[in-house]
Amino acid sequence: MHIPDGYLSPQTYLPLMGVFVAVTAVAVKKVKLDVSARYIPYLGMAAAFSFIIMMFNLPIPGGTSGHAVGSAVIALLFGPWAAVVAVSVALIIQALVFGDGGITAIGANCFNMAIFMPFVAYYLFKLFSVNPMKKTRVFIAAFISGYFSLVLTAILTAVEFGIQPLIASDAEGKALYCPYDLSVAIPVMAIEHLVLFGIVEGLITALIVRYFLKSDPGLIFALRNKKGMHHD
Amino acid sequence: MATNLPRYLMQNEPVITGETSGKKVRFSVIDKTILNAAKTVKSIYVQAENATEGGVLHSIHPKVKFFALIFMAVIISLVNNLEGQMCISVFVFILVLMGRINIPGMYKKVLFLAFFFGFLVVFPASLNIITSGKVILNLVSLNQSYQFWIYHIPQNIGFTSEGLQVVGLIFLRVWNSISFSILIMLTTSFPAFIKSFKLVGVPDTFLMVITLAYKYIFILSRTIEETYLALKSRLFQNPGNGQLRKLISGRVFFMFKRSVAQYENTYFAMVSRGYSGQIMPEPPQPLTTKDYMAIAIVVLFGIAVKFI
Repeated sequence: MHIPDGYLSPQTYLPLMGVFVAVTAVAVKKVKLDVSARYIPYLGMAAAFSFIIMMFNLPIPGGTSGHAVGSAVIALLFGPWAAVVAVSVALIIQALVFGDGGITAIGANCFNMAIFMPFVAYYLFKLFSVNPMKKTRVFIAAFISGYFSLVLTAILTAVEFGIQPLIASDAEGKALYCPYDLSVAIPVMAIEHLVLFGIVEGLITALIVRYFLKSDPGLIFALRNKKGMHHD
Repeated sequence: MATNLPRYLMQNEPVITGETSGKKVRFSVIDKTILNAAKTVKSIYVQAENATEGGVLHSIHPKVKFFALIFMAVIISLVNNLEGQMCISVFVFILVLMGRINIPGMYKKVLFLAFFFGFLVVFPASLNIITSGKVILNLVSLNQSYQFWIYHIPQNIGFTSEGLQVVGLIFLRVWNSISFSILIMLTTSFPAFIKSFKLVGVPDTFLMVITLAYKYIFILSRTIEETYLALKSRLFQNPGNGQLRKLISGRVFFMFKRSVAQYENTYFAMVSRGYSGQIMPEPPQPLTTKDYMAIAIVVLFGIAVKFI
């Protein structure tokens, strides 16, 4: 999911960097309003937790294990605006220190995984975890939230890849950046995320939310202000 | 070697072996999850903190290195020919030689990342199924060509010269970008590097969040390792997958609680030192002649490789 350098043309990475900067500025202001002077250490903590959650592998039914992108679970635990800053910071540290994701692609990666994915995940969860809440319903809502937010983010990434041959080719029509057009990029990314990575993301999101729900439901931002929570 | 790093960050031995009461217990998922996470985080921190000592590149101002990283990343993305990308590879290699760093270690990491992201992913584009052109090496001959919906499968499938050029260009771009960014990070203290983000207008607030997150991550690395030790000490047989899922979800919850506690302690420490929500930025360090020379070399090279 992390786009490396070399795959996106400047026509793509510059606008996405602009959107990322603008949305992050709004996100910092929104979180500042919510937690006042505490917002800096709060966001630092959320970013560190985002970074660490991306490193936890969970065994998945079927004999394999995987780690989540984590944006969905971060959005549910901290809210979408805090997730924008937290996941962005985690992605920036990953790109600079691990080489995971490109330098020119930081804006695109943050747009996909720190803006688009948390908001999709958060509102899908809100949509499916309607009152009165039951644990099973929350589990399913968290799975749907993780699954579809990742699949849709993968399709968005595929579109960014797929438009490269259309907008950045040489005079002979040879691709200068990602060589796969939309007819290749979208099916490949969609299928692998629909049948594998989406399920991993959905299960990890659901398992973590279920544990939080059992232990301390007040910690889940997406469930605050919800009434009528009870056990199945 | 004298160092200011906490002792737990310098310990390389595993905290506990897989043997428990004479009976071997397999912890593959837990190992992968908890211990590897802590080890990775520790190694990064040690590398970043040791980056303040060494050769010529270490003494260059972090702002100059930040500028060079962004400038070169953009140049690498704009150079669309193999010769230009090869010139950049040679330029980066010369800088690596000047950097007094572990060259095999660095290029091992570069090779792994570039092979995975810059070769494996893009390799199918060398075939005429993806990139049309003159086939220079035939791989498979079918009875006839096929048309499935919008997809065309040619009768002869093979490598095209155009496709190989595309693969070569993307591979070299990824290679150059990763090698240059790793070189910069190996020769620069991460917190000092982060402060140079101000060059592109990143506000102090955001820099403070990154710096705090970076510190939290390494403080939490100790918690991760202690968690691993505690978990391993209590297990005497292979846990089932269901039990493992519960255990690891529980560790994530525990990490969350520790993160919140860490954040609250940090906030109270900041308040006790007079913090009221306003950031007081440090005065900037002036650039030296060596820094200006470094800027000139990078800019002149970038312009030359792009336009000449």
